[in-house]
Amino acid sequence: MATDNDLHELASLYVIGALPRADREAFEAHLATCAQCQQDVRTLSPVGEALAYAAPDVEPPADLRQRVLASVGATSSARGRARATAAARTTSPLWSMSGLSGLATAASLLLAVVLGGYAVQLRGRVASLEGRLAQALARVDASERLVAEARRAVSDAQVSLVVLTAPDMARVELAGQAVAPRAAGRAFWSRSRGLVFTASNLPALPAGRTYQLWVVTAQAPVSAGLLKPDPNGAVNVIFTTPSDLQRPTAMAVTIEPDGGVPAPTGAMYLVGAIAGL
Amino acid sequence: MWFLLTVAGRVARSAWVEDRLADHATLARMASGDHDALAELYDRLARPVYSLALRILRDPADAEDIVQEVFSQAWRQAGRYDARRGTVAAWLLTLARSRAIDRLRSRRARPDDVAAEPDPNIPDRGIAADLQIQSAQQVARVRAALEELPALQRIVLELAYYEGLTHVEIAERLEQPLGTVKTRIRQAMMRLRDSLAGAV
Repeated sequence: MATDNDLHELASLYVIGALPRADREAFEAHLATCAQCQQDVRTLSPVGEALAYAAPDVEPPADLRQRVLASVGATSSARGRARATAAARTTSPLWSMSGLSGLATAASLLLAVVLGGYAVQLRGRVASLEGRLAQALARVDASERLVAEARRAVSDAQVSLVVLTAPDMARVELAGQAVAPRAAGRAFWSRSRGLVFTASNLPALPAGRTYQLWVVTAQAPVSAGLLKPDPNGAVNVIFTTPSDLQRPTAMAVTIEPDGGVPAPTGAMYLVGAIAGL
Repeated sequence: MWFLLTVAGRVARSAWVEDRLADHATLARMASGDHDALAELYDRLARPVYSLALRILRDPADAEDIVQEVFSQAWRQAGRYDARRGTVAAWLLTLARSRAIDRLRSRRARPDDVAAEPDPNIPDRGIAADLQIQSAQQVARVRAALEELPALQRIVLELAYYEGLTHVEIAERLEQPLGTVKTRIRQAMMRLRDSLAGAV
């Protein structure tokens, strides 16, 4: 049995219909006497309504209108038509032929018609089942992609947390350079746990080019990985770095040919020094 | 709530509010058997109903079935509709979602633990909502706010609303604690509510 405290949490789930039946009934009983939950339901209901409108906007097919309007009030006449067809079938002219051979001919003719019809029907069913199978597979794909995306987000969030709480965490602010004065970046690096990098306002990339992040050591810049900003120029990524990495002094972002390069060749977009390491 | 909408309409009648007021009058004509009224309602609301069903079922033929079912139910039950409980549009969309989710669940062959809207026939949340959607801009804001939610909040909310999964099923599917799933849905709803409140 859920306690009152649990029940208070359920208003948002209730409003969007995400409660299993038993929980829903328990919540409704609770709702009748709980002013707080009534208030929650009142203020959250419009969100439920908004979600209904938030589905991608698609025009229904033009002929649907006629079908919908025709179907309303046409139910009784459709039933009448079905009865008339059944009556016609029982008085089929084939059975009114006289004589044994006539009957045999009629029977084989009927069989041929029935079998032919059956074959057509089977073909239709196979095609329709194939179509539904393809749809079902597409749905499985889509939902697996959603779950994979969620798992990746969880694991990214966990790695970020681990990096941010590492005892040897170093924070680096990267400033936009002449080619991108509005760009800015920030990195959190832990030798033992990895590198979390975020940036904003990176200019859109020309075709065939990528941004590359470098950890600059006294010896040489070491590539941390490639960056693909979203349409707003934002990047949010997690990299692992080799644990035997030389003591780094700075981080930088350059523009490079697609696929990246072993050592930086292009213009520098962001750069920042690592302090205190 | 109907009163609030009417007041909002008087103050700044957006095309949206005009349409929702017109829906109300149209439904009254449907209740008295006027076929033309059904055509008018179809022209104003078939698009959002179809879009929602298509988003949930991802199959045009199934989405068309839902549109057909929703409008014939609206025709049959026009006389039982209670304007105090919400707009006609909200009613039809509630019907569409609940029928689409039922169909989705029977496809998954687990129709028993259906978590449809509180009442699939009549829009009855027991209490009226404070604030109705009052403009097309608000819808655009919510759509944008949904896109901008942190990935996990958005995914959890979409699984609940568009896939019809219960929070228990979501927790199983994402291998996340139940409390975390509840919290994420709640946070997502709060953010969407704020985006709604910020734009009239």
